[in-house]
Amino acid sequence: MDGFSTAFSEITLVLFTTLAPSGAVAYLLMNLPVLFGRVDGTLRQRLDRLSCLPLAITMVGLIASATHLGNPSNALYVFTGVGRSPLSTEVFCAVIFLALAGMYWLYSFALAPRRGLQRVLLVAIDGAAVVFVIATAFAYSVDTIPVWNLSLAPVSLLLNALVGGPLLALSGFAGVGYRPWTRPLVALSGAALVANVAVYGCLGTQLAVMANEMVHATDLVAGFPAYVGVFALLAGVGIVIAWRSRGCEGRSPVVRLAVATACALAGIFLMRFTFYMAHFTVGLGV
Amino acid sequence: MQYGFHFNGQRCTGCKTCMLACKDFHDLGYDVAFRQVYEYGGGTWEKDAEGALSQDCFTYYVSVACNHCAKPVCVKVCPTGAMHKDDRGIVTVDGQRCIGCGYCALSCPYRAPKVDREAGHSAKCDLCADRLDAGKSPICVEACPLRALDFGEVGDLRARYGTVADLAPLPSASVTSPHVVITLPRCLEDEPSRAGTGEIQNRREIV
Repeated sequence: MDGFSTAFSEITLVLFTTLAPSGAVAYLLMNLPVLFGRVDGTLRQRLDRLSCLPLAITMVGLIASATHLGNPSNALYVFTGVGRSPLSTEVFCAVIFLALAGMYWLYSFALAPRRGLQRVLLVAIDGAAVVFVIATAFAYSVDTIPVWNLSLAPVSLLLNALVGGPLLALSGFAGVGYRPWTRPLVALSGAALVANVAVYGCLGTQLAVMANEMVHATDLVAGFPAYVGVFALLAGVGIVIAWRSRGCEGRSPVVRLAVATACALAGIFLMRFTFYMAHFTVGLGV
Repeated sequence: MQYGFHFNGQRCTGCKTCMLACKDFHDLGYDVAFRQVYEYGGGTWEKDAEGALSQDCFTYYVSVACNHCAKPVCVKVCPTGAMHKDDRGIVTVDGQRCIGCGYCALSCPYRAPKVDREAGHSAKCDLCADRLDAGKSPICVEACPLRALDFGEVGDLRARYGTVADLAPLPSASVTSPHVVITLPRCLEDEPSRAGTGEIQNRREIV
């Protein structure tokens, strides 16, 4: 009856909720220059094609989450619960987002892709990405699980995505040798980190008084402030590395930004782990 | 039709025969139980100025399985519809639809559903549906040596035993509207102020 056991048994969901929201936000950010006509020619083509990077990261998360299923062959039944079960809604939104983004990516290899059609697709994909991240944030809001049902719990996941997403997008931009919006995106990630740490601080005070008949939340997530501290440190280091990559040339910024993204995602992974550690229900469930 | 359980807190001695009969009948492993018995106790010992000890301790047992709730959260969160209520009001799992995601087990406040990793789907108390079909009672009800468990149409149970469904350490009945009727333990009838003041004494036994 310790939080570690619960979190380890749901480790693939920890991975999914770490990677997929940040991947979706990064995808959205990476296609903005194309959507607003800021890039053209070869650069536009490369940017379109490298959009598979955040897409792949999102899909790795989704595939990882499927590995914890006992019987994936029944997975299509998930769509019968859309609107009723938050988990079904989340999976449905993920599939819509990934299907649209996959179509866009394939279409980007056409000899003469129609820009109008691409823009329409991008608007739809961006909408689907936002809905998907929100659906993921609320997928675990169940009124019998007190910690997961706190109003700040989905906010923490949304902020996670805003911490990791911009850094991943900067990595993607650097991958095609395009360096737009480094300052605003690093600033966005930094502001999200500050807000995220504040939200975790509030969640920590709420956890301190929560319990059921079997356990206290603080026993499940002993040392929660330390986890928040490590998260702030890892994500903060990532943001500093991203900031310092501004003046770099050649392949160096790609490596630096990849390291920055990895640091931020590691911190987010840690906090998602604590989310599953804190699971208990009203009454008797642990 | 809606079936439910009656639990008589004045008869239960915490022998766990119900739990073991269930595990045996359903061939459950050591780490899975569809029915659990909670030992709940509280109170204090005090020493007066002359050294005499007095106490107001109490203990009682609560045997709990799935309560086939009117508002089953496991059914609500199930992404595939595998967890459903059948026409007898039994909350049961359709193994042909279940993906084994475990969301039902995570959300139930009674710890009723479990995930059978070997079978790849959830598993839980189905009121021994095969026995019901044969006109028999669930095995736990039949096995109880003190007749502390009863089973039947919930309207009949309420007419016979009353409408109490709240007893610590169970969650408030308002959460999922369980189809269980409880006869309160004698210690709570004698001193209602003890309700909810104790704690579970056998946490390490619970699976």
